[in-house]
Amino acid sequence: MCCWSVGLLQRELEAAGFSTITLTPVPDLTASVRVPRIAAIEYPLGRTLGRPCEAAEQTAVLEATLNALEIIRVPGEIIHLPFEWPEAPKEVHTSPPVDPPIARYLARNPWFLPRLLSRSVPG
Amino acid sequence: MPKTVDSFRFINGITKRMIKNWISMEKPRPIPWTPLTRPLSECTVALLSSAGIALKTDTPFDQEGERKNPWWGDPSFRILPKTATQDDVRVYHMHIDPSYAEQDLNCLFPLQRLQEMEASGRIGRMSPRHYSIMGYILNPDELLRETVPALIRNLKEDLADVVVLVPA
Repeated sequence: MCCWSVGLLQRELEAAGFSTITLTPVPDLTASVRVPRIAAIEYPLGRTLGRPCEAAEQTAVLEATLNALEIIRVPGEIIHLPFEWPEAPKEVHTSPPVDPPIARYLARNPWFLPRLLSRSVPG
Repeated sequence: MPKTVDSFRFINGITKRMIKNWISMEKPRPIPWTPLTRPLSECTVALLSSAGIALKTDTPFDQEGERKNPWWGDPSFRILPKTATQDDVRVYHMHIDPSYAEQDLNCLFPLQRLQEMEASGRIGRMSPRHYSIMGYILNPDELLRETVPALIRNLKEDLADVVVLVPA
């Protein structure tokens, strides 16, 4: 899950001397690994900056992210960006064109689901 | 009322259960901190995506390895030049809908938007190189052991001050 692994990376880069911010659509997950700065956005996965070819919208999101980087002074702070996705959740499709391998594996081996939920990788 | 982002407005089913469980597994720990000591108009800025973006001319992220072992995800990273567009890259992450980034890479990796900010002086300079990992990683050992030190080395060579991370 990207919003988790990116959080781990962010911690490492910040510790190495870079000022970092994550623009995350799942702030609860990114914040859970304790990252220095978050710009939270309520957009679906796979389009974190906005819709294709909507340059002004994308610029507004990136500008708000940079602004959050400038104003956060307390490690772990989250700035909630005000943007609203123009479609209702039931109209939004975020699934990949083909189910990912783990989904097909769990369809055949459903008793392994708790291992995914607890991130205890077999083997 | 200022907005509070709902992490789960567009996520449901097993993914939502998984995320909630992963959150419950994390424990408090110190947060690293590098203060921004210069105005952004004097900083070099790099982007890092987790969408599994690679140049068409570069080695693809290892989808076949993940198909053979669905508990594994390719923990390596790819370098992308500041001028890359959707025509130059492929999106290898198998857990997201890549169609948005395939139409316009800026949906996930806003290189052109950052170029405009470099031109306008909002940021000092764009890093010459930008980076992508593929974020489906359940066991982060190799990511932390191999990828992180290499990324840090590259970012230092690039003289980057700021990294903007964009999960897919």
